[in-house]
Amino acid sequence: MLAIEADALRRTYTSRAGWLKPRRTETEAVRGVTFEVAPGELFGLLGPNGAGKTTTIKMLNTLLLPTSGTARVFGHDVARDPVAVRRRIGYVFGGDRGLYDRLSALDNLRYFAELYGVEARDQKRRIAELLDLVGLVGREKERVEGYSRGMRQRLHIARGLLHRPDVLFLDEPSIGVDPVAARDLRRTVADLAAGGTTVLLTTHYMAEADELCGRIAVIAGGRIRALGTPESLKSRVRGRDVLEIEAYGVDEERLDRVRRIDGVRGASVEDRGALQIVTVQTGRGSAELHGPVLTALDGVRIGRVTSREPSLEDAYIAIVEEAAEAAVGLAEAEETPAGVPGGVTSGVTDGVTEELSV
Amino acid sequence: MFRFPGTARLLVVGGAISYRALFNWTTPPMFIGTLLVGPLLQVFFFVFLGRELGVADDRFHLVGNAVLAASTSCVYGGTMAVANERRYGTLGAVLLSPRHRVPLWTGRALPYVLNGLFVSAFVLTAAALVLGLPVPAGALPALGLVLLAAAGACSAFGLALGALGLRFRDVFLVSNVASSVLLLLTGAAVPRESLPEWMRFAGELLPLTHAADAARRLTAGGGLDGALLGTELAVGAGWGLLAVALLAAFERGSRRRATLDTM
Repeated sequence: MLAIEADALRRTYTSRAGWLKPRRTETEAVRGVTFEVAPGELFGLLGPNGAGKTTTIKMLNTLLLPTSGTARVFGHDVARDPVAVRRRIGYVFGGDRGLYDRLSALDNLRYFAELYGVEARDQKRRIAELLDLVGLVGREKERVEGYSRGMRQRLHIARGLLHRPDVLFLDEPSIGVDPVAARDLRRTVADLAAGGTTVLLTTHYMAEADELCGRIAVIAGGRIRALGTPESLKSRVRGRDVLEIEAYGVDEERLDRVRRIDGVRGASVEDRGALQIVTVQTGRGSAELHGPVLTALDGVRIGRVTSREPSLEDAYIAIVEEAAEAAVGLAEAEETPAGVPGGVTSGVTDGVTEELSV
Repeated sequence: MFRFPGTARLLVVGGAISYRALFNWTTPPMFIGTLLVGPLLQVFFFVFLGRELGVADDRFHLVGNAVLAASTSCVYGGTMAVANERRYGTLGAVLLSPRHRVPLWTGRALPYVLNGLFVSAFVLTAAALVLGLPVPAGALPALGLVLLAAAGACSAFGLALGALGLRFRDVFLVSNVASSVLLLLTGAAVPRESLPEWMRFAGELLPLTHAADAARRLTAGGGLDGALLGTELAVGAGWGLLAVALLAAFERGSRRRATLDTM
């Protein structure tokens, strides 16, 4: 039996604004997502902000009902049999919230042990095991409000594991966590998968996904754009070279100039404080493009320029860029209705453009 | 060693931990200031105002306001027991619990019942001592029962208001209005005979109304009025059922409408 089955999952959000003349807006967050995860597999779901990752996870863990499509966890339908699903899953999300700040870590775990049905006679031992696993022994009696983000994240993981779930959903667990804590977290996740727990991980960190995941689905615009092992995804960009340029002050116009150069397969920019890293994907052996690329960036301060083999991140960017181009093409081909009778409008949140323009 | 069975643990242990996690006024200064001193001063205010205006005697205002004193912890506590989950971002984690919702939510109301009982008992004792109101010693057990029923009914009322927190933002606005409604309509502070008919009818459906009358009767040496106590319990049960129904409906709705993350 499969651990997770998602079949043509869709989710539309409806929001209403205004009192006198209420206006409804529909947003398709997930548009027909299908994938399967085997028991004990560590499966990654990657995608830009607003791609539909969290919505997909929330449908799988029963917090949201799918608008259409079906999903099952160990054969239990998430819409029709949520209690059976909840008995077998754990959910860990990233960020500062999601814990009772005024309670100690111990009391947080005690309370969630009650909520998740951990037998009273097992609670003490299980909580001690988990505090040890996440490295919070000695700090468990302190109020959570004094915890660092890394400690909170570790407590989130302990909470998610209290009832020994068969499936663990990890929604960006390493967000904002320092490198050492992130490494420990990766080790914990890898150990869990090695112990037979099925893990569905969403993350923005490609190295994390590359290191941990047996298979990865790239989601953008609410659709799965690629699915395979990290190696198979990387093979999509194997025939490319990557040029990395440190720069200061690259704007969208200059980036478009780079993208228009013959032989350039994609370009993106990542802000690291004042520094920007411009990543340009070209065909293999395109050293002659270095000059035109630097010319297109004329007027901005340039630092180090390096050429390297493509990574999973490059594969991811290529997939997401293709999705963005496809979305633009589709939008141009079809005239999106700005308004339909009854004041209903349709919109799409895919976040692709936003991510690429960062 | 004695151990609670699973559901009882969720009700009692879970309820107690959630009280510490979610009730904003557990620190000594907040507890004493908000739940004890404030209501006590309110008793004095109404007693002296009643003397000045001749609306009703000391017993009416003292006992009525002592019963009403439970409402601060019960109404706001019940609201915090649900609505504060949004503040901490824990609502999703709670709703992922596979446990039955009735003990889960009912357990959250239980500490406020005890809290309300303690506050009412304190205010009644302190005010009676300061103002010199005699309370027959033989009436104390029944009085405790009436105050317990009042706190229970009021906690169920607070939980029903808290249920709105699963669906709507700014639910504390509703609690503020509800507190004023209790002050006005239950007859705890204002004689109900002076209210219009529809207000009197609304008061019949609210917690504390019947308990306040029963408590006044007891302190006056009139014995326990079983009908008043029964009516107070029935009103509490009604609000409790409504709370459970609302919590279930809003939880289902949150899955459909994606309202859990609305801050």
